[in-house]
Amino acid sequence: MSKYMKTARMSYLEKTNGGIIYLLPDIMIKIFTLIPLIYLWRVVMSSGAQVGMSMSQMLTYTYISALLSDMMVVKTAASGWLSEGVLMKLYGRPISVLGQLIAQTMGAWFPMLLLFSLPMVFVAPLIGVNLMPASPWFLPSLLLCISLGFAIDILFACLSIKLRNMSWLISRIRAAIVSLLSGTIIPISLLPYGIGVIMKYQPFACLGGSPLSIYVGSADPENVILLQLIWNMILWPVALLVFKKSQEGIVSYGG
Amino acid sequence: MEVKAKIKRILKLLAISAKMDLVWLLRDTKYALTGIASDMISNLSTVSAVYLIALRFNGIGGLNTDEILFMMSYSTITTGLFIMFGSGNNIHISRIIGRGQLEHLFMQPLSLKMQLFTNGFCPFTGGGNFLVGCIMLIISVRRLSLSITLGWLLSLIIYILATMTIIVARSYLVSTAAFYAPVAAEEISMTAIDGTWLLSTFPLSGMPAFLQVSLLTILPEGLMAWFPSLCLLGKTPLHFSKYYPLAFALILSLITSYIFRKGMNYYVKKGSNRYVPYGFRR
Repeated sequence: MSKYMKTARMSYLEKTNGGIIYLLPDIMIKIFTLIPLIYLWRVVMSSGAQVGMSMSQMLTYTYISALLSDMMVVKTAASGWLSEGVLMKLYGRPISVLGQLIAQTMGAWFPMLLLFSLPMVFVAPLIGVNLMPASPWFLPSLLLCISLGFAIDILFACLSIKLRNMSWLISRIRAAIVSLLSGTIIPISLLPYGIGVIMKYQPFACLGGSPLSIYVGSADPENVILLQLIWNMILWPVALLVFKKSQEGIVSYGG
Repeated sequence: MEVKAKIKRILKLLAISAKMDLVWLLRDTKYALTGIASDMISNLSTVSAVYLIALRFNGIGGLNTDEILFMMSYSTITTGLFIMFGSGNNIHISRIIGRGQLEHLFMQPLSLKMQLFTNGFCPFTGGGNFLVGCIMLIISVRRLSLSITLGWLLSLIIYILATMTIIVARSYLVSTAAFYAPVAAEEISMTAIDGTWLLSTFPLSGMPAFLQVSLLTILPEGLMAWFPSLCLLGKTPLHFSKYYPLAFALILSLITSYIFRKGMNYYVKKGSNRYVPYGFRR
């Protein structure tokens, strides 16, 4: 376990090697997106339309989604590393490749958690956002969301291996689909024409949207967690099997 | 005469880029089509998020769904033009600077400006969003029953050019950092352009004035679609002049030009620490 902790620490340090000042543009963009987004929802929700969520719930949903964005939809560097030749290097180390990938990804979350999420927790009351969770089941749901996120990411990495040099395109398509279907930008239940009723059963809905809906108390934790468990149990074996088969097909160039 | 020759040269260079783009599409059709699809899906998912909210709530902040559709079409057209003219990292200029690739451009018998303006043109593989944007625009204009005059069309073109100028100028402004810190700032234009993409699709109507003004000055995301769209709909917001986007584009371009030149002067004296004899990107 300590090997993975060290790997995570290396990843964390790598993010801040150039100095914290180089993380500032990303932090500023996050802040400048979050605050207008909060006000956008205020404007939208003040229209009085009945959507099954109160304004307070919606603001909390949006805020937490932004604070934990890296965890809501997990994205490892696997696809990018494939084209940059980094993935091959992982095979030269005496620890599991997937383990390294997970440790590096989780380590890379820390700078933003410390420099953006933590300070913004204190800002929340100032702009009228209540950050108290409605249910303690948020935590298990978040863990299941992260776990499923890694499984889905591995499957996309395998698709990149299969399609060789299309990793950038796959990454764009994936980001676009996942951002809409995971409920991290718009809660799935808010989609018009009853789309939300169908969409809530697909695997992407078990990512960010699930723990967020439990956090604000707009969904029944039992059903949500059960669905998350089912998708984890389906997609993890598939991801491991496909990754095992894909490893032989890794072609690396560049650097 | 000299201007005429210059324009002719630019058109020729654009034609060469377009030809190379077509050749790519014909030779590697599967990859090229995937690229077109990825650009379109990526943009549509961003604009549809806002449009779906508008549909669900019958509008946003006083704008009805058709006006939101109009705004999204404006956003899609600018995204389309950005992709169509910026496929060679020529708008994401910090990548070229940070990777030490500017040297490659110095070796060409063409001015840097002309190369950067023409080498990212890809009308065949990059025109998808522009077309989708135009279709969305026609639909929204019909639904809004707008009367289209020559003057209105000229205003549309001028506003789009102003928005494009702001996007490029801001990217070049922040990319100046890559002259001084090539590794750390290699992706800074990505942060400035793509990082603010979602924000640029927000309809700011109904938001507090301090936020609207901030997003029209400090971080000009309101000028990417919201402000010009409302001007074109005859609802210029905040009692600003309808010429504000043009003035902003001009001032930002002048500031960028001055700062970028300073960065270039530094670069030509110091060179790039990422450039190695056998290639680039140390």
